[in-house]
Amino acid sequence: MVATQQAATLPAARAVELTKVYGTGDAAVRALDGVSLELERGHFTAVMGPSGSGKSTLMHCMAGLDRPTAGHAFIGEHELDGLDDADLTDLRRDRIGFVFQSFNLVPMLTAGENITLPADLAGASVEREWFDALVRQLGIVDRLEHRPSELSGGQQQRVACARALIGRPELIFADEPTGNLDSNTSTEVLGFLRDAVSEHGQSIVMVTHDPLAAAYADRVVFLADGSVAGEIRSPSADAVLAQMKKLGR
Amino acid sequence: MRRITLRGLLARKLRLALTALAIVLGVTFVSGTLVLGDTLNRTLGDLVGSVYQHVSFEIRGKAAFNEKTPQGVTGTADRKPVPESIAAEVRRLPGVADVFGSVGGYAQFVAPDGSSIDDGAGKNLGFAYDPNSQLSPFRLVAGRAPTTAHDVVIDKATATKYHFALGDPIRVLLPDGQSTFTITGIVTFGDSNTLAGDTLAGFEQTTAQALFNSRGHYDSINVLAAPGADNVQLQEAISRLLPTGVEVVSGQAVANELTDAVDNELSFLSTALLIFALISLFVGGFTIFNTFTITVGQRTRELALLRVVGASRRQLMRSVLGEAALTGLAASLIGLGLGVLAALGLKALLGAFGISLPSAPLVFQARTAIVAIAVGVGVTVVSAIVPARRAVRVPPVAALVEHSEDQPAATPRRRIVAGVVLGLVGLVALIAGVSGANLTLVGVGSGAMLVARALLARLVARPLADVLGRPLRMFGTPGKLGRQNSMRNPGRTAQTAAALMIGIGLVSTIAVLGASLSTSAADQVDSAVTADYLVTSSGGFSRSVPATVSGLPGVTATTAVYRGQFEFGNSLSSLAAVTPAGLARTVNLHMVDGSGTPALAAGRLLVDASTASSDHLHVGSVVPVRFAQTGAGTMTVGGIYKTNPLIGSFVTGEQFFLAHFDTPLPSGVLVKVTRGTPGFQARLNRRLAAYPNLTIQTRAQFESQQKASINQLLGLIYVLLALAVMIALIGIVNTLMLSVFERTREIGLLRAVGMRRGQVRAMVRSESVIVALFGAVLGVVVGTGIGLALASALRNNGVTNLSVPVPSLIAFVILSALLGLLAATWPARRAANLDVLAAIASQ
Repeated sequence: MVATQQAATLPAARAVELTKVYGTGDAAVRALDGVSLELERGHFTAVMGPSGSGKSTLMHCMAGLDRPTAGHAFIGEHELDGLDDADLTDLRRDRIGFVFQSFNLVPMLTAGENITLPADLAGASVEREWFDALVRQLGIVDRLEHRPSELSGGQQQRVACARALIGRPELIFADEPTGNLDSNTSTEVLGFLRDAVSEHGQSIVMVTHDPLAAAYADRVVFLADGSVAGEIRSPSADAVLAQMKKLGR
Repeated sequence: MRRITLRGLLARKLRLALTALAIVLGVTFVSGTLVLGDTLNRTLGDLVGSVYQHVSFEIRGKAAFNEKTPQGVTGTADRKPVPESIAAEVRRLPGVADVFGSVGGYAQFVAPDGSSIDDGAGKNLGFAYDPNSQLSPFRLVAGRAPTTAHDVVIDKATATKYHFALGDPIRVLLPDGQSTFTITGIVTFGDSNTLAGDTLAGFEQTTAQALFNSRGHYDSINVLAAPGADNVQLQEAISRLLPTGVEVVSGQAVANELTDAVDNELSFLSTALLIFALISLFVGGFTIFNTFTITVGQRTRELALLRVVGASRRQLMRSVLGEAALTGLAASLIGLGLGVLAALGLKALLGAFGISLPSAPLVFQARTAIVAIAVGVGVTVVSAIVPARRAVRVPPVAALVEHSEDQPAATPRRRIVAGVVLGLVGLVALIAGVSGANLTLVGVGSGAMLVARALLARLVARPLADVLGRPLRMFGTPGKLGRQNSMRNPGRTAQTAAALMIGIGLVSTIAVLGASLSTSAADQVDSAVTADYLVTSSGGFSRSVPATVSGLPGVTATTAVYRGQFEFGNSLSSLAAVTPAGLARTVNLHMVDGSGTPALAAGRLLVDASTASSDHLHVGSVVPVRFAQTGAGTMTVGGIYKTNPLIGSFVTGEQFFLAHFDTPLPSGVLVKVTRGTPGFQARLNRRLAAYPNLTIQTRAQFESQQKASINQLLGLIYVLLALAVMIALIGIVNTLMLSVFERTREIGLLRAVGMRRGQVRAMVRSESVIVALFGAVLGVVVGTGIGLALASALRNNGVTNLSVPVPSLIAFVILSALLGLLAATWPARRAANLDVLAAIASQ
């Protein structure tokens, strides 16, 4: 809650004229073409766009997983450009949470160990009460000693959510978190993410191509051909679908 | 299908290179050994051939013993000398062009700095130099032949190495003292500067006879037939002149005998090296087995897809085995090329451990290539059979379902049964071998147990890795993850560690055996020798030494020791002889029955307790014996002493010995001094300064020298086994690389959620260390067991004490852990440098 209290003057993350070019010469592909974007603190933002629109690249560059060709990315007050691999790694560990589409958990660690993994890597301890509250809320109390292979897909994704939330990071990146889940479990997982924002002021950005998922967000940003192609605040699934259709899907 | 095999190979170049490396090293070792063996054979064979190139016949005493004695080129110790007069008679026969009587014996040069010249394993040979005859194998390359009693010709190798020039004086140690001669000539042996590392001193014929106690006779007589003479008739004519006990044989026959003798000695060396080479290949086989198992696992979908599109099982089998065969072939060819270098390396290695071999151009036979390639390809293909069978059992449907490569599979029951049965058979063989002191059974048992242990290793892999990895938790999450990674596929961990286990197991076996030998040797010296000082030399030494020593003030007793061969019953045995007078104060024989000193003085035979019991001998038994010089006779057993390998099985008195051996040289003098004779060793050294070939040691020094020579041999074996350990490490590198490759996404995830590169490296290293420790601990345990079994089986061959060198064994384990750390270097770097994004995105 420290992050939210320290006055929300700064956005949780910012992209300034982010450009990413793959390849050179004739084969060069501009995945990102000068994207500028602010992700507000305490908001749930969805990023949508057709395949190849650059939404994943944008996520990766903003989360310090990939380096942009030009432009700047910020997490809170930290600019990512100047950081070396070790600093970026620490930043990811301490200030960013991740939820991926699949393969979210380390197979040899129990669910509980997976949740505390970032803290363990930092040699820090987790807030016990927060941990207990999270696992209770996610309904995985009796699953903590299980290995990922012994969990259902939905349970695995809930564990991943707990891992992302436990450190109260500045921002959680969720990359198609419901892509591999059936509709019931999708609803559950999206509900948790929504609650985290609403109840605890967590900032979340989610890449998705599912309008139903995007409808959980406070704001949907559309990308097309490496550029921002509009946004909708307080979206409904229908509005999102309409916008997507306009973008040529 | 062939194209798929080739494409598959190329797609996995890195893995292929690592797998091949294991085979390359093994084949290098094998072909290096073969090349070295052939080279030595050819060299020494040529040398022997050149000696008898011009000799038509050799006249010599008949062999005294039925059993062949190991003999050098000039070794005639087991033959009676031939009377001088025969030479003159043979010379008068029609058809004889030339005759020369040869005489030889101990003659050791002293270098200008006063040290004795003794290069490696070579002998110090003195001989009668034949100035005119074409019969001589020696070629004068400078100066002139010796003509007076003060002249000597020396071999070119010694002259070159110690900068002797014509006209220089040179001190020579001889059986009866020493003299200074003038160098009148430099000789080569055939085309070689020396004779297989021996030093050569050529004297004028009658001088040589005098120096080597051969007045009036020769060791042998060489005959050169005139051109056009009928050799068959000539041989008959010569044999009619000969007294009984003397024979004439063709030069070719003698050359063949010597070549056989040389081959015999060399084949022991080659066989020993070959065994180590095969051990390396065997360990290499484990690496290959493991690699193919893992790659087949990783390619399950690919293989299944091939099945879907119509590849038959037979085709898949051929594809996998074809890949193995090609890998093996490529590796064998490289190994073959490197083998030539390895031959030079092996020679240098043996040289470093005191086994010097003559230098000659390397001999590369077609057989070497055939054997190396057959063995290399064979090991690779055989190791790939089980993985290949696994590959063909992949059902086509596996192409369509999500597949997890990293799931631990249960140990097949057949494997457990096979392991347990093999282990039990091994145990039974081992117990039978140990109790019956049967080395072969112990070897078979040990081998079976080693393989059984390798088969069953995966059963203990998880619990053992768990325990071994526990301390790594202090390195935080990476250590914990490394430990868990090592436990996640126990089969793989066990297989990887098995190769190292065999390597470390053999090293531990040798360590235990060596330590037992070492303590046994020390114990034997302690129990048998009560003398304060021991004077010894690598060969024999001058007969004047014992008297010189006993004249020193403070000396209370001296005992001269001689050694020779005689036939006891029907077998050739070593006979020791001692001066009875001082024996009681220098040697403790621990008599079990009969008397010591009086029996020796009376020329009786003392035998050790184990011989006495096996041959049912007791005091007063009369036994048939035979000596080379004096022929058959009998000896009476005068006493039985406690078995001590340092003394040997048979001892008699000096007087008796001198009467039955031709000019024997003492091999040692034991000296007892009155207590508190300060500075005695210095005085002894000064008094014996004229004999630089002598080693003068206190009993403690002698004891540590015995240990040192055992340790040197151990060192050589360690170096030879190091290759097997190295190949095992390559196996660890290989498995880790494959695991890292397999866990790309997992590592990507860990990096994404905040694992630093250093922590990734630490994780991979932890796993490597655990695998290495796993192999080392099992290896040390099994090796110690086998070592103790072997040592007890050898209890009749001088290993009287068992000893476990705990510090060495602990050092092996620690060293293995460090090597594991080293093996992880590359895989750890690869894992740490994985592109996070690519890793997450990879399927």
